[in-house]
Amino acid sequence: MTEGIRKTIDEAIRWMVLEQAIARKSDEYDRLAQEYAARLIATRVDKTQVRGLETLARTTDRVSDITDWLKLRVGRDSRREGWAKEGIGRDLVTELEGLRSDARKIVNELRSKGNAFASDPDLERQVHLRLCREFIKHLAAHFEYLKAERER
Amino acid sequence: MSELEYLLKRKQSIAAWSDRWQAEAARFADRHRDLLPRRITNAQLYGLGNVVRSARRYADIERFIRHQAEKAERAGRLDVQEYWTDLKDALGKLRGEAQALPKTLPLPAGMDHQEALDDLHRELARLYVQHLIAHSLYQASGPKES
Repeated sequence: MTEGIRKTIDEAIRWMVLEQAIARKSDEYDRLAQEYAARLIATRVDKTQVRGLETLARTTDRVSDITDWLKLRVGRDSRREGWAKEGIGRDLVTELEGLRSDARKIVNELRSKGNAFASDPDLERQVHLRLCREFIKHLAAHFEYLKAERER
Repeated sequence: MSELEYLLKRKQSIAAWSDRWQAEAARFADRHRDLLPRRITNAQLYGLGNVVRSARRYADIERFIRHQAEKAERAGRLDVQEYWTDLKDALGKLRGEAQALPKTLPLPAGMDHQEALDDLHRELARLYVQHLIAHSLYQASGPKES
């Protein structure tokens, strides 16, 4: 095996380790996301908005875009029937911002195992973004399911 | 560095900067929370957002903010004038940030340095204002919803 191929394989294995760590966290988020969906279903937030949030999370390269989007919706909801109802939007902002500590743990663990790519100073932020996407993906799926159940 | 490589690295650097500076923009909004939403209205903030999004040069943003400060001064609303002056200073300081980013991001050959710097400054100002508006509206809506 040439040096170049070995390097490529090593890199692929490192990325797989990261992907596994993100997948494990994602599974952990499912229950909490379901609770948020249950709260959200009791508001006037509709499917379009939740899909909009999911699309934004999937396409942006910034966590701040996601939290800004939510902050704007909370701020504009003067009747407090949607994202501002019973603090759901604020709780979600706090929840998503808090995922940074999970991202930090994942990256620190990779670093402690000597993964070279984990030295990228932007990795923690990128993992945070991935975790936000995962959380919102679960939230959107549960929301759609609950909405369909209600309409049945 | 090829132009494509430059654009990709620029995008990633700006994304990282934006996430890092969201807290700073939120602190600016917090420092001026007493003015929201009556002295500095949502309409004024949306107006600022529109100008920042459509500006072709950083000077256009600065001109708008200076104009807002002058209007407030003429109306004797010194607290509002101070808000706009503080914002002009905060956004002006982002020039230093715009100068620092390309140190890790050498420009491709043939790209005008001053123009690239102005573009970057305008982009950072746009992101700062996006965070500022979002946090201002969020904070003005009050912490206790029912």
